[in-house]
Amino acid sequence: MFASKRLSKELIKMQEHLPPGISIVKSENLEEWQMDIKVLDDNPLYRDETYRLKFTFGSKYPIEPPEVQFIEVPSTESAPESKRPIPIHPHIYSNGIICLDLLSSAGWSPVQTVESVCMSIQSMLTANSRNERPPGDSDFVSYNRRRPRDINFLYDDDNV
Amino acid sequence: MSFELKERGNHLYKDGDYNGAEELYSQAILKNPREPTFFTNRALTRTKLEKWAGVEQDARMAIELYGQKSPHSLKSRWYLAQALLGLQRPQEAYEIAIDAYRASLAAKNSQTENLSKIVLRAKQAIWAAKETARLREMNLTLATVEQLVEADLKRALDDLQGQLDKGEIGETGFLEDQKALREDAERNIQNVREAFRIASNGEIRERVVPDYLVDGITFEIMHDPVIVPSGTSFDRIGIVKYVEQSGVDPITRTPMTVNDLRPNYALKAACEDFLTKNGWAVDW
Repeated sequence: MFASKRLSKELIKMQEHLPPGISIVKSENLEEWQMDIKVLDDNPLYRDETYRLKFTFGSKYPIEPPEVQFIEVPSTESAPESKRPIPIHPHIYSNGIICLDLLSSAGWSPVQTVESVCMSIQSMLTANSRNERPPGDSDFVSYNRRRPRDINFLYDDDNV
Repeated sequence: MSFELKERGNHLYKDGDYNGAEELYSQAILKNPREPTFFTNRALTRTKLEKWAGVEQDARMAIELYGQKSPHSLKSRWYLAQALLGLQRPQEAYEIAIDAYRASLAAKNSQTENLSKIVLRAKQAIWAAKETARLREMNLTLATVEQLVEADLKRALDDLQGQLDKGEIGETGFLEDQKALREDAERNIQNVREAFRIASNGEIRERVVPDYLVDGITFEIMHDPVIVPSGTSFDRIGIVKYVEQSGVDPITRTPMTVNDLRPNYALKAACEDFLTKNGWAVDW
C-alpha cells in the first residue's frame, strides 16, 4: 500500500509550510505523529493554551482514517509552558477522544490530510462557546474500551 | 520427486539462502521442465540475486508455459519487466509492463499495483536514457567527463568479476561491491551534471510537479487518471480501493460504485507529456 509514501510527502509539504497555530511535534516514524494546535481568535475557553493531538496511522491510510485524539502532557517545574491539557468541548471527552464526523470510517475521505484534520479541529474549537464535556463523559471515560473509530457517535448536533 | 525439490527450495528461500534455493529449483526443472511454478520461483530467487539475464529466461519460460492470455502469467510478466529494467532495456520493459497492467486491470488481478509501479519506473528509465543523450549532445565536455566515469566503472566491475572468477571473493560480497561501485558512479555523474547545470547560465529548470497532475490519495503523479461523478480525478489504484470500501464519492459523499469511474484521457495525456519531459517526477 502507499501509506508510507503518502505520509512522507505530507511531511515534506508541512515542513515547507504550515497554517498558523499548527506545528509538528513528533513525526520520526510513519505510524504515530504528534501535532500541537492553538486557537487563534480570542475565544476565552482556549486562549493562551496549546493542545497536543496524537495521530496513529494504519497501513491502509489514507483509504482508512487515522486515529486522532488529544493527549495530556503535564507541565514540569523547569518548563511550565510545556503543559498540554485536554480542551473543554461538548464533543471532546476528558480522555482526549474526539467525536468528529470526518474521523469516523463513514465520514472520512482520503483527500483529507493531517494538515486538514488539524484545521478542522482548530475550527471546531474556535466555533464553540459551551464550557462543557459531552453528556455521559465520566461513564464513557471509565467504561469505554473501544477504539475511537469504532464508536458510533451521534453526529446530530451540528450547532457546536 | 521434482515437487519435493521445489518445497526444499522454498524453505531455503525463506531462510534467505538464495543460491541454495536457485540450485534446488534448477534440479526440479531438470526433472520436470513443464512445470511453470519452478520457473516463477527461480525467477523470484534470481531477482533477489539480481541475476537479470536468468530472470528474463525464467519469466519468459513461465509465461509460455502458462500461456500469454492466462492471468497466472501476470506475475511472471512483472518479473520479466523488472529483469528488462535491470538489463538496461527500459523500452521493452515498458511494453511488457503496460500490456500486463491492462490485462491485470481487466482481470482484477492483485498484480495491478506492482505493475502500475513498474510502468512508472520504466517510463523513468526511458526518460533518463533520453536525458543522458540530450545532455551529452548539448555539451561535449560533459559527455567526455561522463564517459570517463563510465569507463572507470567498467574497469572496476571487470576487476571485481575477475576476483569472483578466481574465487577471491564470494557471491554475496561480489553483489554488494558491484552495487556500491554502480552507486558511486551514479553519484559522480549526478554531481558532474549538477555542476554543469549551474554553469549553464540559468538553464536550470525548477523541479515542480503541478498540483493538477498529483493524485489526491497517493500524492503521486497520476498515470491512469479516472474521474469521479463530482468531477475530481484520481489515480485508478487508490480511488478503486476507496470506492470499493466506502461506496461513496470522496468529495461529496454521494453514493457511487467503481462502475461510475470514467477514464480521464486528456489528463492522462497531460501527465504522460509531463513525465516524458520530466522523468525525475516519477521519483518525486
